[in-house]
Amino acid sequence: MTVFWQLVLNGLMLGGLFAIISVGLTLIFGIIRLVNFAHGELLMVGMYATFLLTTQLGVHPYALAPPVVLLLFVVGVLIQRFILQPLLEARDHHVQIFATVGLSTALINLALLLFGADIHSTPAYGARTSLTLGPFRILTGHVVMFVAGILVVAGLHVFLQRTYLGRAIRATAQHRHAAQLMGIDINRIYIITFGIGAACVGLAATLVAPMYPVSPTVGTYFVLTAFVVVVLGGMGSLHGAFIGALIIGLVDSLSGYYIAPDLKEVVIFAIFILILLVRPTGLFGLGRGSE
Amino acid sequence: MNDGKLAAFGLDKRSAILVALLLAAILAIPLGVRSDFVFHIFITICLYGALSTAWNIVGGFAGQLSLGHAIFYGLGAYTAGLLVPYGISPWFGMFAGAALSAVVAVLISVPCFRLRGPFFALATIAFLEVVFQLALHFKGITGGAVGLMVPLQIGWEWMIFREREPSLLIAFGLLLLTLLVAGWIRHSRFGYYLIATREREPAAQAAGIDSLKVRLWAVAISAALTSMVGTFHGMYLTFIEPEAMFSLTLSIQIAMFALIGGIGTVLGPLLGTLLVVPLTELARGWLGASAIGLHGFIYGTVLVLIVLFMPDGLVGFFTRKTHPRPDEAAAQPGALQASAGALVHDPAEPVETRAIGEPILVAEKLNKAFGGLRVAQDLDLSVQQGEVLGIIGPNGAGKTTLFNMLSGFLPPDSGVVRVRDRSGQWVTPTSPHEYARIGVGRTFQIVQPFAAMTVLENIMVGAFHHHASRKEAREKALEVAERMGLWAQRDMEARNLTIGGQKRLEVARVMATEPRILLLDEVMAGLNQTDVRQAITLIEKIRDAGVTVIAIEHVMQAIMALSDRVVVLNSARLLANGKPEDVVRDPAVIEAYLGEEFVHAAA
Repeated sequence: MTVFWQLVLNGLMLGGLFAIISVGLTLIFGIIRLVNFAHGELLMVGMYATFLLTTQLGVHPYALAPPVVLLLFVVGVLIQRFILQPLLEARDHHVQIFATVGLSTALINLALLLFGADIHSTPAYGARTSLTLGPFRILTGHVVMFVAGILVVAGLHVFLQRTYLGRAIRATAQHRHAAQLMGIDINRIYIITFGIGAACVGLAATLVAPMYPVSPTVGTYFVLTAFVVVVLGGMGSLHGAFIGALIIGLVDSLSGYYIAPDLKEVVIFAIFILILLVRPTGLFGLGRGSE
Repeated sequence: MNDGKLAAFGLDKRSAILVALLLAAILAIPLGVRSDFVFHIFITICLYGALSTAWNIVGGFAGQLSLGHAIFYGLGAYTAGLLVPYGISPWFGMFAGAALSAVVAVLISVPCFRLRGPFFALATIAFLEVVFQLALHFKGITGGAVGLMVPLQIGWEWMIFREREPSLLIAFGLLLLTLLVAGWIRHSRFGYYLIATREREPAAQAAGIDSLKVRLWAVAISAALTSMVGTFHGMYLTFIEPEAMFSLTLSIQIAMFALIGGIGTVLGPLLGTLLVVPLTELARGWLGASAIGLHGFIYGTVLVLIVLFMPDGLVGFFTRKTHPRPDEAAAQPGALQASAGALVHDPAEPVETRAIGEPILVAEKLNKAFGGLRVAQDLDLSVQQGEVLGIIGPNGAGKTTLFNMLSGFLPPDSGVVRVRDRSGQWVTPTSPHEYARIGVGRTFQIVQPFAAMTVLENIMVGAFHHHASRKEAREKALEVAERMGLWAQRDMEARNLTIGGQKRLEVARVMATEPRILLLDEVMAGLNQTDVRQAITLIEKIRDAGVTVIAIEHVMQAIMALSDRVVVLNSARLLANGKPEDVVRDPAVIEAYLGEEFVHAAA
């Protein structure tokens, strides 16, 4: 029984990791209605930035959160302004899909060119130390991620509900043209939203870097799970993403132990396909999942 | 190839020569240069060109962005590779793999085709990941992460060679095969059906297209071709591993080449490959093996630039929309006039004896609710052969809902619709295309043109219903275009028509299916007086040709002039049913439209 509860605990902690990676993805989808296939590469960029700064400056990765968050915000702003905004009125879905797919491919290979295919480990500064809670053990870094995940979701929620900018963002999400008639500069809203979404990934990167080594394809590894999380929680729903992340974390942890370690991804993707087909709006979706 | 055969692939003589030269160059350059590096580049071009062309059948023509096509490529390689140790030639394995891939593709696609855009793409990625992980897991079959060596038996029967020429010939043959299949599809009825379905699924269904079936055929053909290329590539590499075979990167690349060249065009995928592959291979040659990731970086960057600056790809950029040239005989209206006497619906000879006959369409006790909102309550309706039935009612009365139930777009919660088919039997179709097939045609209140097609091509989609050949469908469409006043605009893109023109196009497309019962949903809304008068004349002609017409309309002038009978719907119920002049005097009707005080005023 101890094993089971340890697995549950591991699953929840893993869920915290998935949550913090997925928040930006679901935000961008919910507001801009764009599936960002380059999301994982934003994480990769952030992780390389954290790795480089930590090793060069000898600073704790967590202390790098402000500069990396800012960096990713700027990257997000640039992507939205110069790549995605011109495609906003495009007639077909495939144009936006391919823009982000192309960006993803270019970034992965740019990292390959610059850093090679080898993995690089960011110094952990204690994030990989395990805490003992009675019979159970968890890593400090995971606890930090879990708490940060809750704080980011709660913070974004308050921001969207209470501030003027947040309301403008929600209005734009609900009806782009009506929002324009109300005097909202929707291009600016989209740029800010993409920036915030990318900034969330930046924060995630500083927290993930001490736990997992970075490589050019690290984004692909995490982003596929993030898509599962976001679709399960309902594309665009922040708390949905959080709960979806916990569920997928549990599935990952339990199926890895009880079925087979190398089949846990099969289980996760089977769930993903099932959700897409049976309930494409997810658990807390906006009701437009199959659009 | 004679001109008729060229036309079947949408080519005139000049472009046919260009394509032939291009293909000849792909074969001649490596055979002339004879360096291993050049052979490698051209084999790679043929391979990716073929993969991308095959992908384009489903990704471009059918508009379903699969990012999981490596599944079929890997299945092809593995099927043939696993059969070789049993002494079975890969030439057989190639077809076994193709058959397997087609079946797997259909099984995956039946549920996934309900998803659109990015969600379909995500689902295909998920399927690919599942297949990849399973391939890693079942080491006994696939060799797991280590992979499998294909036994090195040299010779044509084993598809493995010491020299490069035979491999180039096979790769070129596969490229040619996929191009021929794609070219044939694009310019056949099947291709029109695919593109119509991609552009506007409901309108395609209303034109009698079984949209799921045509898409499944497309994905099966695409998967089979992809798999055949996979077989060859497996033999060429003589090494098969899950990582390379079921690769997301490969799936993305083949889609990418199609987009760069021109998605949905026949030659686009090949052109995209021709641009990008040599570019990256040369760059790699110059910069040496140290530059890993360089080719991917170029692919990604070119893709983003293409998407931003030439969204129709190279083909779209250089040709700007080319339309199929008008066929010789049908090009002049004069020639058409000459044959007009033979046409059934010739406006010059209206059928004088118009008799309203037996019931042809009956609806019994139709009920429908959306959540708590009841949009149809016990609706009974009987329509007689040859009559014009007008349906009026205030906004939100449930008129369009009724139409949707009478044409198969909305299944009623209870109740039944019966239609008499051509042989006189009463049948209950279950889907929109079945309704279209037994002769129930409909238009949409919000016009649904196939935007990427010309006016004539739009009408051809309807005409294909009774005319399988492109030539006949074209002639039928030209005739309808002329009758519907769309002759001058026939080569315009449908999205550029005026609203009046688009409404006429709606009617033209459905008339081209030669319906026996025509459902018109507000075809006159938003038209000016002249257009309304034209439309009335037009519907009279349709009626005189023996077509039963059911029309929803708010333009009272038209309803009064045309209808033999009028039905009034209000709040999901049948309020009145009778001759037009009686119905408009019915106090209940006046109340529904204008409020109670006007009933007293009228009295």
